[in-house]
Amino acid sequence: MSPDALPKLGKGVKLRNDRDGSVMLLVPEGALVLNRSAAAALALVDGRRSLENIIEAVVELFDVTPERAASDLHELFERLEQRGFVIDDRS
Amino acid sequence: MTVRRPLSLLCELTYRCNLQCPYCYNPLALRDYRDELATEDWRSVLEQAAALGVVQTQFSGGEPTLRRDLATLIGAASRFGLYTNLISQGTFLDDALLDELIASGLDHIQISIQAPEAELADRIAGAAVHARKLDALQRVLERDVALTLNCVLHRHNHDAIADVIALAERLGVRRLELANTQFYGWAYRNLAALMPTRAQVECGEAVVAAARERLRGRMEIVYVLPDYFGEFPKPCMNGWGGQFITVTPNGDVLPCPAAAAIKTLRFENVRNSALDAIWNDSDSFGRYRGTGWMPEPCRSCERREIDWGGCRCQAYLLTGNAGATDPACSLSPDHPTLVQRRENAHSTELVFRRA
Repeated sequence: MSPDALPKLGKGVKLRNDRDGSVMLLVPEGALVLNRSAAAALALVDGRRSLENIIEAVVELFDVTPERAASDLHELFERLEQRGFVIDDRS
Repeated sequence: MTVRRPLSLLCELTYRCNLQCPYCYNPLALRDYRDELATEDWRSVLEQAAALGVVQTQFSGGEPTLRRDLATLIGAASRFGLYTNLISQGTFLDDALLDELIASGLDHIQISIQAPEAELADRIAGAAVHARKLDALQRVLERDVALTLNCVLHRHNHDAIADVIALAERLGVRRLELANTQFYGWAYRNLAALMPTRAQVECGEAVVAAARERLRGRMEIVYVLPDYFGEFPKPCMNGWGGQFITVTPNGDVLPCPAAAAIKTLRFENVRNSALDAIWNDSDSFGRYRGTGWMPEPCRSCERREIDWGGCRCQAYLLTGNAGATDPACSLSPDHPTLVQRRENAHSTELVFRRA
């Protein structure tokens, strides 16, 4: 997924704040438990903000190495796009 | 042992169905389930499940769209914060019903076809419904709801896997489930006529692997392995009493959708007991939970927390003992029984599902 992509959640994909404080991505017949930065990034996904913009915002939120966090998040969005859980709203 | 929270609830709303698929996993004694739970009972089950920590719910059957309160129940589940899946054969999914279900909060629909073309599909379903299913698929694809196309595989359609994938591609389906028949209920009754051949299984796996590669990023293909051809058993339900709850049309609460076949267990009913007590304290859920119940070779096996001893229902069906190692495991002393059932599966007589 390119940095200027406008990610949004695919059909039937939902974020859920669980009662134990964790965040899950609910998908058809399954659930993925998200780490803190993935949860923060997916909370910003709305089909209007660019992927680059989302990643910048998340990197600022957490005390992490920017390069490392950015590459982790790029990889996450790549995997989610492969499975249709996140789609690029430009396409 | 500590009991984890359940994550998934299967609501078998009714066993009524207008189709007669011989691979159905529903019990043979369909008539025993005619005293169906009322809307208010199901609403309470959903509320109790959400309180227990369940996040996913499947509305299935039988054919769940035969229940007039389906939209009401989907709405209730949705309000309790549950993700809602509908498992349907699609023959009643017209515009009005679909719009009502989606407006009630339905997240995902799985529609099954019997084969990629009408002649074979209608023969397996026992009714001329394939064309209606294709219409329903089209209607779902046009709407804001996730879709999985499902096809159950057996000897009579295993050679058509490539055509099922091509149909899914043509329709623009994002998620396809190719599920080898699980031999329970009517499917177990028909085992000798449904079992695929080894050649079919090997060919099918190659077709699926090539299609996955070719369609990467466009279509996800979920392939449910054939129990009778593997080296190790499936991790049934991710362990008995580990994550899953099934409630049958009359309110029985089962650790596995096929568990009603196990006559050595007594199952609780939501009409008499709270779901919380059933999950945490009942003998039926506790009996095969974790690893403490395991005999050898499971007990000392390094895979014991990978496949959890396989399926208790399959062990019961093939050995008469629900506490035995699943004979689908090549290490099980009963494995030869399963091999024999597989190798002697030469019947041509299909018994169609009927009440």
